[in-house]
Amino acid sequence: MVTVQMEEKGIFDQFKDWYTNRHEYAKAWKEKGGKVMGYFCTYVPEEILYAANILPVRILGSHEPQDVTEPHIFAMFCPFCRDCLAQGLKGRYDYLDGIMIAQSCLHIRQTYTSWDLHIPTDYSYYLPHPMHVQSPQATPYLREELIQFKKSVEDWIDKPITNYDLKRGIEIMNANRRLMNQVYELRKKRNPPVTGLEAMYMVVSSQMTDKHEHNRELESLLQKLSTRDIGDPGERLMIIGSEDDDTEFLAMVEDLGATFVTDDHCTGTRYFQEEVNPSEDLLNAIAERYVKRVPCPSKDWPKRTRLDHIIRMSKEYDVQGAILIQQKFCDPHELDTPAIKEELEKNGIATLFLEFDVTVPIGQFKTRVEAFLEIMREEDLF
Amino acid sequence: MANSESKEYWRWTESRWTNPDLDWKDGDIISAGVDVGSVSTQSVVMVDGELFCYANMRTGSDSPDSANNSMNWALDGTGLPLDKIEYAVGTGYGRVNVPFAKRALTEIACHARGANFMYGPSIRTVLDMGGQDCKAIRCDHRGKVTAFLMNDKCAAGTGRGMEVFADLLQIHINDVGRMSLVDVEPEPVSSTCVVFAKSEAVALLRKGWSKEKVLAAYCGAMAHRVVTLLERLGVENDFAITGGIAKNIGVVSRIEKELKVTAPEPSIDPQLAGAIGGALFGKALVEKARKKA
Repeated sequence: MVTVQMEEKGIFDQFKDWYTNRHEYAKAWKEKGGKVMGYFCTYVPEEILYAANILPVRILGSHEPQDVTEPHIFAMFCPFCRDCLAQGLKGRYDYLDGIMIAQSCLHIRQTYTSWDLHIPTDYSYYLPHPMHVQSPQATPYLREELIQFKKSVEDWIDKPITNYDLKRGIEIMNANRRLMNQVYELRKKRNPPVTGLEAMYMVVSSQMTDKHEHNRELESLLQKLSTRDIGDPGERLMIIGSEDDDTEFLAMVEDLGATFVTDDHCTGTRYFQEEVNPSEDLLNAIAERYVKRVPCPSKDWPKRTRLDHIIRMSKEYDVQGAILIQQKFCDPHELDTPAIKEELEKNGIATLFLEFDVTVPIGQFKTRVEAFLEIMREEDLF
Repeated sequence: MANSESKEYWRWTESRWTNPDLDWKDGDIISAGVDVGSVSTQSVVMVDGELFCYANMRTGSDSPDSANNSMNWALDGTGLPLDKIEYAVGTGYGRVNVPFAKRALTEIACHARGANFMYGPSIRTVLDMGGQDCKAIRCDHRGKVTAFLMNDKCAAGTGRGMEVFADLLQIHINDVGRMSLVDVEPEPVSSTCVVFAKSEAVALLRKGWSKEKVLAAYCGAMAHRVVTLLERLGVENDFAITGGIAKNIGVVSRIEKELKVTAPEPSIDPQLAGAIGGALFGKALVEKARKKA
């Protein structure tokens, strides 16, 4: 990890800049004459937005304490959904032309409906998305909904979205997914050339920048990564859980000498692992991708498909320990945690469970993470 | 009568001790552990893995000062100079701020190791009830941690919470446990949140409850809260309690009753467990380093 600081300009700096200056980026993009759509969940089919030349920007929180959402969202809804709404109420996303959500959990939907009610935008869309994605009817259901959604966007921009446009949308999304998968592939190496923090900047920034630009940056990154060596990763960790862009937490863990080599987050692999397989019926192809992607736990039932998936990943990435971290009050994740924990431990992987709040109590978390690493390290203490 | 407003009911007794049977000059490895907690700081010096001297005092606002003060007090009168300590380990929330420590280890590791020393290698579950948080720890026969759970950022079920109650009821902290056992056992207060429990306690006093009964209700609630933490982790016998609350018979007896286990009587101040663990790790690190050399 020493060599990371020695690079003249960090090769992940661009991603970090995009993430840090997300609003400036979107505003500058808009200056060039496009519409910007804020979205709340990674089930939103960005393919259709790219087809319409709209910039999709995922709305995320800022990790600052706030007191503006109290009248709008229950205190026992997750901190993330409150943090997101706070950004809207404080006017930080005042450049958005529209907002949309695809149904996943009630908490973030409350953010959407509250935003829609109190923060005026030109356009808003609630995309019903099947909860029971394991049903054979899920894809046809979503296909029908995508037809409606496409129509709605066409009316808004006053222009038809052609098959050619859709293909373009799919291509740009797929390219982005493919490139990020290639970066993740490198993390399987004995000495991964990427830290967990860097990977997080990479993925999260892809949710808020024009993917044409993001792809170019990824291509140049991949070239540089082929020769990059940042040394022994220490303990190889996986991070599993709900929405997470808590860079401070990742930095703290990796400063203790361990490295995140992969994740199961919607700000990580759950966002980009699967591509759309283009077929004759493009909307069907898109629907299929979102139905069959690695699910958010709110949709992962009656069978818990994530269990096998997580174990498979932990083997591919040679994971020694897993940090299960979730937004406080996130019931879908909390419900899955005991099963995931048990399965990981059965496979010889140590686990640590933590709950996020808007701000992370870094001192207390540090004690827990250190103790967790001490469990994995035999060292000279005994 | 002394002005009750100025009396510090929460103030527990600071202490220091030297082993009269041990001469540090005869020792081979002198190691130390310093546990800078949120409420108290302990310095323990061991000679070849035996307790030589210790000090247990209140943590000040500055971690390095607290560490220095407690170590100076521990060494006071022993003739042992600080630089003769071959390896000192810092632990507790101020673990990285111990100026003379070569290494920082978590209080979770140190309490497990300390409990192993204090209560023997059969201990498998340790409950550390500290000043500001509470930890349930599982360990093996060496005192190596195998799993742990920590309570959340809240003073409920901790020493700080008990201090607030001692002050509120104007009962000295040392007497809280004993007094909580004299009246009939009431329902626990419904909230262990220090702020809410405090207002609940005031309401109970107004209702005519005795101080003893209110204390019983609070100790019961505190015990219940840590028992749920322990049950989440799973309790394997033998079971021991470390930290300041281990000296509160009112809480300890209620935990034992709820869990249907018996925690051994501590022969050494249980607040020292973390510092003892640190000193033992210091000794092990010296031994390993010598072997390698």
